[in-house]
Amino acid sequence: MTLSVPLDREQLGHLRHFDNLSRRLPNDWSLMQGKGQGQDDFGSYRFQLAYMAYALALTHRHRLPAAPGAFQPTFQRLIDKILEPDVWLYWRDVSQGGSVFNAHLADQLGEEWDPVVRDNIMYSAYVQSMAHLYAYLFDDDRYAAPGALTFRYWSFFWGGAERRFSYDQDSLAENLYWQLVEGGFVGIACEPNCVFQICNQPAILGFRMQDLRTGGSRAEEIVRGYQKAWEQYGRLDGNGHYNMMISADTREVRPNQTLAPWVDAWCGALMNSWNRDFVHRNYPRQVREFLVPGSDGALSVRSAPAMEVMGQTVVNDTCDFGWVAAWASEMGDTETRTGLFTHADRYFAPTWRDGGLYYPRNDTPADADGNRTDIEPMSGNVLLGYARLNVPDGLNGLYQQPWDRAHFSNPALTEVDPEVEVSRAVFADGALDFRLRSREGGEPGRVVIGRLPGRGDWTLRRDGEVLASGADATVHSSADASVRAGDGGVELRCPAGPARDYTLAVTR
Amino acid sequence: MSAPPVGGSFTLVDHHHNRVTEASYRGKYVLLFFGFTHCKQVCPAALLKLSTALDLLGPLATEVRALYVTVDPERDSSEVLRGFLSEYPRFTGLTGSAEQVDVAKRAFRVFARRAEDPEDPEGYAMPHTAFSYLLDRDGRFAAHFTDALEATEIAARIRTQLTG
Repeated sequence: MTLSVPLDREQLGHLRHFDNLSRRLPNDWSLMQGKGQGQDDFGSYRFQLAYMAYALALTHRHRLPAAPGAFQPTFQRLIDKILEPDVWLYWRDVSQGGSVFNAHLADQLGEEWDPVVRDNIMYSAYVQSMAHLYAYLFDDDRYAAPGALTFRYWSFFWGGAERRFSYDQDSLAENLYWQLVEGGFVGIACEPNCVFQICNQPAILGFRMQDLRTGGSRAEEIVRGYQKAWEQYGRLDGNGHYNMMISADTREVRPNQTLAPWVDAWCGALMNSWNRDFVHRNYPRQVREFLVPGSDGALSVRSAPAMEVMGQTVVNDTCDFGWVAAWASEMGDTETRTGLFTHADRYFAPTWRDGGLYYPRNDTPADADGNRTDIEPMSGNVLLGYARLNVPDGLNGLYQQPWDRAHFSNPALTEVDPEVEVSRAVFADGALDFRLRSREGGEPGRVVIGRLPGRGDWTLRRDGEVLASGADATVHSSADASVRAGDGGVELRCPAGPARDYTLAVTR
Repeated sequence: MSAPPVGGSFTLVDHHHNRVTEASYRGKYVLLFFGFTHCKQVCPAALLKLSTALDLLGPLATEVRALYVTVDPERDSSEVLRGFLSEYPRFTGLTGSAEQVDVAKRAFRVFARRAEDPEDPEGYAMPHTAFSYLLDRDGRFAAHFTDALEATEIAARIRTQLTG
């Protein structure tokens, strides 16, 4: 599915916010810090980075397929960031076990620095899927180069020699594949011994993207094995909600005991990529139990009470609201999605900053009238934007309806200056239609229309008026200086002000 | 890359009671399958398919040693393996102590887990990885074949390895 409706102001604002976060200097995680400590929980940087990348993938695939240049640089920066030690160093500690579910294993496990070599699918699958999504979406194998995905850490102050773990997109995928084999395809653990249904879904998506490039069938093989392995345990618990996890050693299944919305919403949103009918069938009943009606069509999400374990209150970012919004967007449940945004825009203080839109962290559970105000960076930075940008069955379409090879040779906006907003970009019937606007206060932004060689004569119109004409990557005539031939294709300068509609029609 | 490789050393006993290691088969390609003789479906089907694949290789099949490694050493002695494999004469059975078999399983990243067998309340089943592995003449992992592949495809891939 490709939507021809232009992106609206809010959608463009979310994309801009993703881009702003991707441009933060190393170790600057401003606006991204959540309640949880040590990058242990569901609001960690890795999840924010990965789901920003997923949202870019969905937007590119379904809304702006002819504008790879609007997404590719941001996607690369997000991959750069997920490789930063701040994101994965938690594994050195978490790898040692000792969580409430597997305290019995603590003596058998040692400190592991390599963040992807075993378990930790809650990180490794995101690196793998982001790299393979990148390769598929942008027809670019840069992460296939040896060492392209390298995890390194060295400190002047402690720890001795540098730690360096070198992978690439294929060696990383190979490692995950064999871990799946070794575990009988039930899944790879997050924390040692804890195999979550949720965190194995991104790996499946990553394998599918890899297959789309290689012509292989790993994803199909893994899904078959995964389905068979889970047949004996059941995907759903006794209450009809997704089983949360299984202990690798005892094969004890842990249900969604507290009826936590994030368990169902996160799992359902992702699993819809390959298991659509099952997810859709269970969604209406499941989601009903989580929604809280408000006034004037607003809908909120109730969270389960914080767990009390070992005399401690568990503090983490549940991201319940954000995940239910993302789930509703994937299910095409417009009524729920709209209701959630009515609530978000009323109670979550939508904020514009540097041209980007987000909902800032708020730890206050509710206002004086009992309306939910609690929102985490994962929801406010990422998931609400994801939900606004996604289309019905967006992940399913990404998985099941790949672009054909011709897509990658069709004329497209292959480079886009950061100051340019692209709100439409579709190539169909020999014409590239796009809508551009340069942000106020800056120089006219530049875009490059690439993949023109071999296409013959073309005419470029702006708001219906002929702006330029040419053949292949050569410009024959131009009404003003805004169009010229460049290294990567035809360069176009886009003035600030209202958005302008362009059509490049190939006439031969 | 830092991830563990597939394949490695093992010390086991074949169904003629000979002690064997991965080095025992150097100079030949090895087609390796892990299973257990009480297996009712997966193993018989796989052994039949792999035997067919070897038949399809014709004279080239002499370059391949086919091994069946038990994941159930408690019940699969050399004698039991020999009897079971009489129906699949291309295969030699390998067994050993539980520790020795565990080493081999780990080397090849094999999943096998003792589970209840509803059809045999007194016994047990061993759900296991249904892959077959191909090792080259130096004993290095060369390829693996999933259970979804047909005999013809497996034969073609082995042939490519042998002649490529």
